[in-house]
Amino acid sequence: MTSDSTLPDIVSSVAPPSGGVNHNLQVRFKNEEGKLLLILPAETETSSSSSWADIWQQLKQRLNAGDRFWQPNTTVHLAAADRLLDGRQLQAVAEALGEVQLTLKRVYTSRRQTAVAAATAGYSVEQQTPSALNQPLTSSVPLAEPLYLQMAVRSGVEIRHSGTVILVGDINPGGIVVANGDILVWGRLRGIAHAGADGNSKCLIMALQMEPTQLRIADYVARAPTTQLTQVYPEIAHVTPEGIRISIAADFSKSQFLSS
Amino acid sequence: MSRIIVTTSGKGGVGKTTVTANLGMALARLGRKVALVDADFGLRNLDLLLGLENRVVYTTVEVLAGECRLEQALVKDKREPGLVLLPAAQNRTKDAVNPEQMQQLVNSLTESYDYVVIDSPAGIEMGFKNAIAGAKEALIVTTPEIAAVRDADRVVGLLEAEGIKKIHLIVNRLRPAMVQVNDMMSVEDVQEILAIPIIGVVPEDERVIVSTNRGEPLVLSENPSLAGKAFDNIARRLEGQTVEFIDLHPTHDNFFTRIRKLLSSII
Repeated sequence: MTSDSTLPDIVSSVAPPSGGVNHNLQVRFKNEEGKLLLILPAETETSSSSSWADIWQQLKQRLNAGDRFWQPNTTVHLAAADRLLDGRQLQAVAEALGEVQLTLKRVYTSRRQTAVAAATAGYSVEQQTPSALNQPLTSSVPLAEPLYLQMAVRSGVEIRHSGTVILVGDINPGGIVVANGDILVWGRLRGIAHAGADGNSKCLIMALQMEPTQLRIADYVARAPTTQLTQVYPEIAHVTPEGIRISIAADFSKSQFLSS
Repeated sequence: MSRIIVTTSGKGGVGKTTVTANLGMALARLGRKVALVDADFGLRNLDLLLGLENRVVYTTVEVLAGECRLEQALVKDKREPGLVLLPAAQNRTKDAVNPEQMQQLVNSLTESYDYVVIDSPAGIEMGFKNAIAGAKEALIVTTPEIAAVRDADRVVGLLEAEGIKKIHLIVNRLRPAMVQVNDMMSVEDVQEILAIPIIGVVPEDERVIVSTNRGEPLVLSENPSLAGKAFDNIARRLEGQTVEFIDLHPTHDNFFTRIRKLLSSII
């Protein structure tokens, strides 16, 4: 995509398929007072497709993507919500965490069977959800802390986050990143990126090499022009009154000054 | 320490089984003991490519049901004594076995073989999960087409999530002439997306069809074609040897190709 405010083909008016990010849809980690909270999506809030296999895959992906940042021997509290986990699945989680030297200590759950399984396996159990999860999902939830990932978002992988996503690596065709905040790709963006997914059209999508299948910011959708890239430089996609436009990153801050 | 390798691709028809058959044969010719496992239940082909169809008596399903011993089901190759095939059942579907059983089976093969190469079916469903269950490393086979590369990318992601980190790429059915005039993805294009180390490039070769129909892997022929050599080289690289990649570009830059390149770069 060549830039200097070159116009990508715009298909605005078409609303993006996914509304906001229900951040309970995916496995996520959260820092909380010296420990790490591993939050599983609640069974009641996810469609049936979010099976144990999906959760397991997401967990492995997240663990691999943040390799460098896990501090050895950090305590992990598992917030399983209403998800039914048996002893074997708990053990699998503990082993996966153990591979990056994280230690599972406590399990929060609202299911009796899960509590029994966790207690049998020797974890301390609390039959309620931790404070952070009790906040109701009202319309204006503050953005979550940024999610930092070092991985390739390959075909079929979907990353959802209720804050900003920073990705060191490529988004391959067929991969998708959805964020309520900005999306910063330190690599090639060839798949789909959806920033400001809960409706904030001020959000930006940045990439070192912008060759997306589709860009979405809030309710705007744009696809890339079909012409091949001739030169590659970092670019930033943002919403203008004409729809989504792309600027050369180096000129972006200047153009923002002029227009304001 | 024996190696358990799965050949997989996501998309069908890219040459997984051809690669498995030739690689198995090439490794056996290098003096290794090789067990090929056909994990494509219900649509087995590997026995055909190896020309062993008429020797299949028992299959994986019988072994798992306890109707025969594992050694009884293994079909010995008539040409290379180091090579055996564990055939898949043709009268069952992918749900006939589960990943734990496959893992067990594959692990028991490692006791007597240096290499266990598992031929995965197309797709990412049960058959795929069975095929990768016991594997420690993977060979991704893809052709230089967008659809094949996209599927390969998905499979690489799944393998990584399953903890299989040692993944190598084989680009199959490359047509150097088409790449040269920009009508086909180049190896570099493929690698740019998949971002995994490459272990072999196999050119398109009509003799593959002949060899498949006859049940004689290419690597067996007396004066092997470029594709046959390429398979042999992959086997050597698996063995840890450093083998130069074959230069597939038939005509080196002559006057006309240079002009054509120049023109296409201007356009």
